[in-house]
Amino acid sequence: MLPPLALYIHVPWCIQKCPYCDFNSHALKQDIPEQAYINRLLDDLRADLADVQQRPLNSIFIGGGTPSLLSADAINRLLQGVQQLIPLAPNCEITLEANPGTFEIERFAGYVRAGVTRLSIGVQSLSASQLQRLGRIHDPEQARLAAKHAGQLGLNSFNLDLMHGLPEQTLADAMADLDGIIALQPPHISWYQLTIEPNTAFASRPPQLPDDDILWDIQQQGHDKLIAAGYQQYEVSAYAKPGHQSKHNRNYWEFGDYLGIGCGAHSKITVMTDNGLSIRRCEKIKHPQGYLDLTRPLRYRSWTVAEDELPFEFFMNYLRLFEAIPKQLFVERTGLELARAEQALASAKTKQLIDDDQQYWHTTELGRRYLNSILDDMVGND
Amino acid sequence: MPEQAFNQKNIRNFSIIAHIDHGKSTLSDRLIQFCGGLADREMAEQVLDSMDIERERGITIKAQSVTLHYKAKDGETYQLNFIDTPGHVDFSYEVSRSLAGCEGALLVVDAAQGVEAQTLANCYTALEMNLEVVPILNKIDLPSAEPMRVAEEIEDIVGIEAIDAVQCSAKTGIGIEDVLERIVKQIPPPEGDPEAPVQALIIDSWFDNYQGVVSLVRVKNGVIRAGDKMKVMSTGQSHLIDKVGFFSPKQTESGVLRSGEVGFVIAGIKDIHGAPVGDTLTLTKNAADKALPGFKKSKPQVYAGMFPISSDDYESFRDALGKLSLNDASLFYEPENSGALGFGFRVGFLGMLHMEIIQERLEREYDIDLITTAPTVVYKVLKKDGTEVMVDNPTNLPPINDIDTIFEPIVEANILVPQEYLGNVITLCVDKRGYQTKMVYHGKQVAVTYELPMAEVVMDFFDRLKSTSRGYASLDYQFKHFQEADMVRVDIMINGDRVDALAMITHRNNSQGRGRELVEKMRELIPRQMFDIAIQAAIGGHIIARSTVKQLRKNVLAKCYGGDVSRKKKLLAKQKEGKKRMKTLGNVEVPQEAFLAVLKVGK
Repeated sequence: MLPPLALYIHVPWCIQKCPYCDFNSHALKQDIPEQAYINRLLDDLRADLADVQQRPLNSIFIGGGTPSLLSADAINRLLQGVQQLIPLAPNCEITLEANPGTFEIERFAGYVRAGVTRLSIGVQSLSASQLQRLGRIHDPEQARLAAKHAGQLGLNSFNLDLMHGLPEQTLADAMADLDGIIALQPPHISWYQLTIEPNTAFASRPPQLPDDDILWDIQQQGHDKLIAAGYQQYEVSAYAKPGHQSKHNRNYWEFGDYLGIGCGAHSKITVMTDNGLSIRRCEKIKHPQGYLDLTRPLRYRSWTVAEDELPFEFFMNYLRLFEAIPKQLFVERTGLELARAEQALASAKTKQLIDDDQQYWHTTELGRRYLNSILDDMVGND
Repeated sequence: MPEQAFNQKNIRNFSIIAHIDHGKSTLSDRLIQFCGGLADREMAEQVLDSMDIERERGITIKAQSVTLHYKAKDGETYQLNFIDTPGHVDFSYEVSRSLAGCEGALLVVDAAQGVEAQTLANCYTALEMNLEVVPILNKIDLPSAEPMRVAEEIEDIVGIEAIDAVQCSAKTGIGIEDVLERIVKQIPPPEGDPEAPVQALIIDSWFDNYQGVVSLVRVKNGVIRAGDKMKVMSTGQSHLIDKVGFFSPKQTESGVLRSGEVGFVIAGIKDIHGAPVGDTLTLTKNAADKALPGFKKSKPQVYAGMFPISSDDYESFRDALGKLSLNDASLFYEPENSGALGFGFRVGFLGMLHMEIIQERLEREYDIDLITTAPTVVYKVLKKDGTEVMVDNPTNLPPINDIDTIFEPIVEANILVPQEYLGNVITLCVDKRGYQTKMVYHGKQVAVTYELPMAEVVMDFFDRLKSTSRGYASLDYQFKHFQEADMVRVDIMINGDRVDALAMITHRNNSQGRGRELVEKMRELIPRQMFDIAIQAAIGGHIIARSTVKQLRKNVLAKCYGGDVSRKKKLLAKQKEGKKRMKTLGNVEVPQEAFLAVLKVGK
């Protein structure tokens, strides 16, 4: 049986590039070519229709870059276009990433009218000096306003992104940030540690990050705080009130299928073959200029994931969900025999990072702290 | 044969003695170029240093030769045989081999820097061997050159006339012809009887994959021809000579080598020990009855364990050592088994540089990841039962209760240093348990002699000497004698398990401090892991120092979404690549460098 299908739509522009960001984003030099880009996105989707294989879309995620730079009209046209090509499942989750700027806040209602059911707002911090250092163009007051506004729109849900482990951040700073976010009562909080990614401004001029012990204290105390406030941790960095987990992100972690359209977007598609299944990945043209060039194909490259890499890909994703992993799902999603997974997890088991019973694998308390060590034996053996 | 006699009169065999950086390689390139040994386009910089490592590090490790033809101002054409010599203190043994093939030596001194201890030692060797030493002042194009001062220094320190020394710049080409004229005039032609039974000294032998053993020889008497049947005098084995000839510097067959000449002999020998360096070749027909005086065999000064990180590499490691030793008679190795590191070899080296070079060649040319344990000198141990053992591995030190006395090797170190740095050098030597035996002032320079424990000298002494004197002090040393010393073995334990490969022998007075420094250094080098790691230093059952590598709190990617998969995979693969170069002891992953941490302490 084929896995469920999600759609990711990438909007590559930002007002300016943040120094920590390694996503495919480009500082905006002139007005966004809205019409042309929406047309191109729909061309892109049309070319991928064969990959849909009669599945409805369970979720749509419009990410970036800064999708809230697009007008509500444009989002409306985009979502209408998508629905004409692929049917949406009942309760399809449609998320849009937004910046908490004044200008964007005014658009929120329009997005909801266009069909958006969930906003994900990149607050990142409530400290003015940290926001500045992170290259964010909003201030804490705008962030609060955006959250308040989002709560009053009749959305199904909304998320606030918050980072911790920021340059020179103390435990108290981080807790103050978290308190501030919790006070805004978002149904979902993505609370993730700042990591210095290669090819970013922070990588070339590394800021002074808190040491391991402070980071650990932040994580421990922050976690307790979130739990006390009624949130459940369902992934390494994702916390939600009951019923508010992100369908779209869960689909990645459950190793579901997704189509990616837009600059540099990635797809993962399962195809049934005579001897089981194979998984194909594809990446679209990265730079907006190339993507908008009507004479060029939109696919940059596509490949079949080697069988050897499937256990790694499956577990890298699924282990992030702090819940029992159904063994049957491994077989279903990778098309491999169960023995392949047992083999891949053997040394993690002896290190007591993983436990199992007849039907499930369980990540141990220790394992949750060392997910990368569990993956160690599956990586780089090619 | 009159033609031959004429030839021999026009032969000049010489070496160049020079300190590293004083321009030996550049000068040899110039001489080759001037005599047309290679077309300009063939002049890869520094042709004589043919190994990659030699060229990269700017040092010469193996002796090589080149035969040049020079038409002198007197109208005659001369055959110049230049035998290259290594310049580093580790390889001084090879220098005497090269010199044994010569009647003269060029003493090349940097006209800005002056005489250095290593040069001096080699120069004395040359003088002892009755070679004509021709001083050359190089780098006179430098603004800081002081040819007159340096000439006086040569006269004062070396004791040879240097006031009319040739002044040249190998870099710009000034004075190169003068150097060649001086070689022809000052160095005597070789003596030797072409009619006498053949005697040829093996200066060097190396293994070539296609030709077998190639021997560089100096023919003292007689004539060797391809097709002759030769005999290796020490082994008595005979071989048919396939090829003889010169290096120009390209290998050039001549079919004949006459008395006085230097060239190669190839006789299908498969093993380098079949043509030992220092041995004498003769012919089976009309054989010489006496071998030429050879030279003493070099003995390793330091020993270290070398272990492949992956035990799968053991076989290829053994093969690689076998191949390297084909070309390096001074390389000694025997199997060693370590509880911590598994199967490997105990390898003996001439010094630290030699060790570094061997390790680098093994990793680079043979693609084997190695862990090298801290090098140690050889101790003599008198046991209570009256027997004596030589210990080249801390693990093999007998139990304390069985030891009567430990003797450590002492070297005599000759140091040349400008006066302003003398104080620093003395402080360093005292710090290293040195005992001053001699001090002589030569103008701006001071020659000072110390007796120092070899263990202190082979580790980082040379580097520290250089840094404490801003690079001006120079060093030469040789083993002198064994001396009673209060040595102890410091063991290192990781999470309670003694790691044999980390043990060190040190003087009791230093043991506390070094133990503390060592566990501290290890703490920095061992990455945090899933549990706390205790590192302890102990003498016998007594713990003298302790440190802890704290547990890694977590190892989790903060985020990972659909498009991230390939990037995250790369990131994790890279982390794992780093781990591959670590050794797992028990359940602790220890990086390669930690095994050499001993070298970083005691500064």
